[in-house]
Amino acid sequence: MKEFQYVIQDPVGLHARPAGLLVKQVGGFQSKVTVACNGKSADAKKLIMLMSLGIKQGMEVTCQIEGEDEEAAAEALQKFFQENL
Amino acid sequence: MKILQNLFAKGGIVVGAPVAGSLVSIKEVSDPTFGEEILGKGVAIIPSANQICAPVDGKVATAFPTGHAVAVVGNDGMEILIHVGLDTVKLNGEHFTIHVQEGQEVKKGDLLLEADLEQIKAAGYDIITPVVICNSDEFTEIQAEAPKTVAPGDDIIKLRK
Repeated sequence: MKEFQYVIQDPVGLHARPAGLLVKQVGGFQSKVTVACNGKSADAKKLIMLMSLGIKQGMEVTCQIEGEDEEAAAEALQKFFQENL
Repeated sequence: MKILQNLFAKGGIVVGAPVAGSLVSIKEVSDPTFGEEILGKGVAIIPSANQICAPVDGKVATAFPTGHAVAVVGNDGMEILIHVGLDTVKLNGEHFTIHVQEGQEVKKGDLLLEADLEQIKAAGYDIITPVVICNSDEFTEIQAEAPKTVAPGDDIIKLRK
């Protein structure tokens, strides 16, 4: 399993657009991706669950990636967070 | 058309309009997140009233504190996101009043939120309101109604599992 932390920089947090892009990104991998923040966690393939985390600027999220392609997925997701959030 | 009618005659699920206005194709939405259906398949409504209502019986899954968007999970499992206007997250709650909480059960037609459309337009935002099925891949058929004028509750999307 791979794991990384990221502090959200986007002033409006993980709202509909970046959440949708994240789901799309995660959908390209077989690995299970879990995003945890604020004492709650969500399957990153489920848009509604992701949005209900209420992730805002300044919050630290923990991303866990588990599966055959976890190496590549973790790398791509880390890049995604840095570029979009 | 007869074939389509038969298709939805059994086991069809209907999503109602959350607001009065003009129903248009989702492709009319200039924001590619919606127009290219990244968030899921759906439609868009150019609203003519400020009251945004529940499109189905279900539960509020996400009520953004900014009031600009709300997600309802229908009793039939569809996850419906209603996003009032484009980029309106940047208004940070101004001109929106949210009337529901996460987890709250709602009936089709219940008031979810109010948006002051005139003020939102005056602030320079497009008020087009995408209504998308976030878990589109869990349905075998998602049929958007053709463009028309809608009243709250009128059929806008038909689904089949």
